[in-house]
Amino acid sequence: MSVVFALATPPAKSAICVFRVSGHGCLDKIKQITGCELKRARTFYLRSFLDAGGGVIDNVGVVFFKGPNSYTGEDSFEVYAHGSLGVMSLIVDVFKGLGFDEAPPGEFTKRAFLNNKISLNEAEAVVDIIDSSSRESVYLSSKSLSGTFTDLVVGFSKKIDFLRMGVEGEIDFSDEGEDFLDGALVGGLKKIVVDFSLFVDGCVNKKHYSSKNKVLFVGPVNSGKSSVFNRLLGFERALVSSVAGTTRDLVESELFYSDASFSLLDSAGIRETDDLIESRGISIALEQIEGADVVVGIFDSFDKNVLNKFSKLTKGKKYLTVYNKLDLGPPNQEVFDCLVSAKTGEGFGELKNKLASFFKVFDRSDYSFLVRDRHISLFNSSLKCLKDALLKIEEGGGLELVAEDLRLARGFLDEVVGVKTSDSLLGDIFSNFCIGK
Amino acid sequence: MDKFDVIVVGGGHAGVEAAHAVSRAGMVCALITFDKTKIGQMSCNPAIGGLGKSHIVREIDAMGGIMPLATDMSGIQYRTLNTRKGDAVQALRVQCDRKLYKEAIQKIIKQTDIYLIEAEVTDLIIDKSFVKGVIANGKEVKAKKTILTTGTFLNGLMYTGSEVTKGGRVGDDSAIPLSKKLYDLKLPMGRLKTGTPARITMSSLNLSVMEEQPGEKPTPFMSLTNQAQEHQKQMPCYITRTNKNTHKIISENTHLSAMYSGNISGIGPRYCPSIEDKVFKFSSKDSHQIFIEPEGIGIDLIYPNGISTSLPKKAQQEFIRSIEGMENAEITEYGYAVEYDFIDPRTNKKTLETTFLKDFYLAGQINGTTGYEEAAAQGLVAGINATLSIQNKDPFILNRDEAYIGVLIDDLTTHGITEPYRMFTSRAEHRLLLSQNNAEQRLLTKAYNLNLIKKERYQNYLKREEAYKNFVKNTLEKTKIKTFLNKNNDTVTLEEKRSLYSILTRPDVEENKLIKIQEDEKVFFKRASVEIKYKGYIDKQLREINKNKKQNNKKIPSSIDYKNISGLSNEVVEKLTQSNPETIGSAAKIEGVTPAAINLILINIKKLELQKINA
Repeated sequence: MSVVFALATPPAKSAICVFRVSGHGCLDKIKQITGCELKRARTFYLRSFLDAGGGVIDNVGVVFFKGPNSYTGEDSFEVYAHGSLGVMSLIVDVFKGLGFDEAPPGEFTKRAFLNNKISLNEAEAVVDIIDSSSRESVYLSSKSLSGTFTDLVVGFSKKIDFLRMGVEGEIDFSDEGEDFLDGALVGGLKKIVVDFSLFVDGCVNKKHYSSKNKVLFVGPVNSGKSSVFNRLLGFERALVSSVAGTTRDLVESELFYSDASFSLLDSAGIRETDDLIESRGISIALEQIEGADVVVGIFDSFDKNVLNKFSKLTKGKKYLTVYNKLDLGPPNQEVFDCLVSAKTGEGFGELKNKLASFFKVFDRSDYSFLVRDRHISLFNSSLKCLKDALLKIEEGGGLELVAEDLRLARGFLDEVVGVKTSDSLLGDIFSNFCIGK
Repeated sequence: MDKFDVIVVGGGHAGVEAAHAVSRAGMVCALITFDKTKIGQMSCNPAIGGLGKSHIVREIDAMGGIMPLATDMSGIQYRTLNTRKGDAVQALRVQCDRKLYKEAIQKIIKQTDIYLIEAEVTDLIIDKSFVKGVIANGKEVKAKKTILTTGTFLNGLMYTGSEVTKGGRVGDDSAIPLSKKLYDLKLPMGRLKTGTPARITMSSLNLSVMEEQPGEKPTPFMSLTNQAQEHQKQMPCYITRTNKNTHKIISENTHLSAMYSGNISGIGPRYCPSIEDKVFKFSSKDSHQIFIEPEGIGIDLIYPNGISTSLPKKAQQEFIRSIEGMENAEITEYGYAVEYDFIDPRTNKKTLETTFLKDFYLAGQINGTTGYEEAAAQGLVAGINATLSIQNKDPFILNRDEAYIGVLIDDLTTHGITEPYRMFTSRAEHRLLLSQNNAEQRLLTKAYNLNLIKKERYQNYLKREEAYKNFVKNTLEKTKIKTFLNKNNDTVTLEEKRSLYSILTRPDVEENKLIKIQEDEKVFFKRASVEIKYKGYIDKQLREINKNKKQNNKKIPSSIDYKNISGLSNEVVEKLTQSNPETIGSAAKIEGVTPAAINLILINIKKLELQKINA
């Protein structure tokens, strides 16, 4: 089977991230990635992870497993890198450059089963995974989808089909005395490239929009924002100490709860400050309020002035006030939306529910299902082929190469809009042109 | 002879290719036909090759087949199509002398030890589910394998206006008893139709007002094996066009056409519509092209390609005489539509053996295809596999990335047909790998290993390949130059000297002016320049092919029941059940079958295997 890779940890900033790679021949590539050979299986090596040009991306840990002694039963290896989003995307680029494929959901487990590594019972669970992912993909099939997004992709695929109709007609029926291309190929192609580029750029923005679900923690200095933040995550993310102003930059992490995912942002406390570095942190926080979906104010006491000040800062955003120091006793006024204690964990169930309820609406928007990294990468691949086709025409390359680029461009959209079979393409040619001597 | 190795029923293009392949491999073969003098008859237009089809003929050539030989023995006009496009989609089309072609085929067949039996086959000898031979003219003829290539003769009916005649071709009977027999077996069968135009005497035409289309010079060859022989005398073709008046006459008579009267239930090919269809469906077009194909040297007859029809005779004559240059046309035979039975090819394995009866193969139009080339290719595949099966050897199956023949067989057996199936280059997703000029590189070694070609030819091929490699290494890679002419005839100067090989990768280079190439190396140079141009694309395709090879070749056990696989949609279950794909690769190509569905099938196959082990 082909070599596949997947990020085994959530695609979010974290201390480390783990990539898994599996498939015949993958071990041969380790040398290319790390610049040297690893001798022993199941041994942790510290190596540099190199990009295609030999530049160092990150210092990483690498462990390899020789099939059948691995989870999947195939040759496989794991890479432990630093958990920055930049590093992750560079590593993904390297893997793709090596011809590895992104693993679909359940792929590693499926392979483990096919290679007799796990039992039938475990495999039934895999069926469920695949089943659910296919149910999800129902949203992507053109039949059941409404929404401008898919309409647009279907529209582009139809435009590509239309160009292919002319090009394939011109190749297969050149002796019919028909003008298949009508001089419109270059113009048509240019227009698709421009429109599709705009669309793909838009996708990236929409992706940010849909994955934003941003929850920003603000509050007076030392009110316990980072403690609440860490408690929500279930582990220590932000540096917490009792020294006022410890959190300098925004700390971002991801929380999955009740089928919503939040991006949590912990900000520096807001106060008048002389510390330049920290004041920069605070201005970032103020900017972030603009980009946040929900602002959570964390307070350790009731102070009418402070509460009003924060209420103004949020400028009409969805706003949740949380009293943190419940372990020290309830606040003297019942004005808070939520009462918690970061120290004891009291009240966090309710806080999570309240946060999740804010996002139910967002998650059902048109775009959130569709625009995933995977789709954006498919669209970009498709766009590249369209540009290649245009270049081929301009260079005076053969029409059959233009046809190949267009075929590939359309192929990348298959997953979203369905396959265009050659027979159906021929059908379009026959109904639009008078073929047949 | 009381028992043959193989019986081939039918002497058309599929039949002769099948019989010849069987005999090349050293088996004893009988060919049974209605009429020996009709063996190798071209029943439609007298041309071989064209887009997607010359590719098939060259593949047949590389497998030692006879269609390309007969083509060169009878070719009267050669033209390469798509010369302004790249190598992969260029195609040679050859006009043949109809009579010489048939004679060439008969001559080649007579040089073998194939037994020719003139008889009508009315029944099959079936023992349990094995076919043991046929009943021909009432007598038993037995064989280990039987190949049926009945063309349009199964229950063939010809229509001209309201006239209906039994037969698969003008002047010939149709095979009704055999057809009934197959219906009795309750096979999945259907009806297709196709049509032909009237035949007209050449002397009655005014060719001087038509556009003359001469053949290509120097005249190429279809077969790569007998290029030393001389060509027949070459003849031009002519082009004329229908006009508004023609269309008016046709429109007024369309209701009388057999195809519009509702008598015909068969499905016709969309790419080969009758002239009444063209006028009706493309009413905005004032004129359609007609290609005048000479029937042969010294034969006073032409085939007007583009005006196939089933209009009544009077209307045919009237509209034909309205066409420029045809005002005094003498019609010798009127056009007709022919309707015939076919058997759903999805019931065949990729060897073309049927799944409903063992030792029984189907090839040609009976599988729902059209075209001489498609028929011949199937005959070849059936003949080779019948032989291999007798020899207890692995079947011969070509992949889609290896040959158009592979695409053809896979399309037929996996997807079935919705209209008479014809090959087009766009059906081959690996088109760039499958040029008509590299058929030998793709197939000759296989053919040699199957005993289908002579040792001498194979050795010559190996020598040529060696010489080519040396040419690339010694001439293209070692010769380094600093300046070259681009396509605008401007001199391009490079920063440093580069090899010819690397300069050929540039899109702007004028290849013909790059270096002086000796005459005998011109073919090599052309081949190298094509391979260099395609390299990036081909590497991409090969990566794709290799990536999925193991999974694609995984066999789906016939015991699989798609209904029992939870998670598959009803639509997918239905499609898979109907197509019954042999491999995961075939299943994945069925419309609507998603990668997720493929994963489910893989898991279920594994489950079946495990159950088998545990049982």
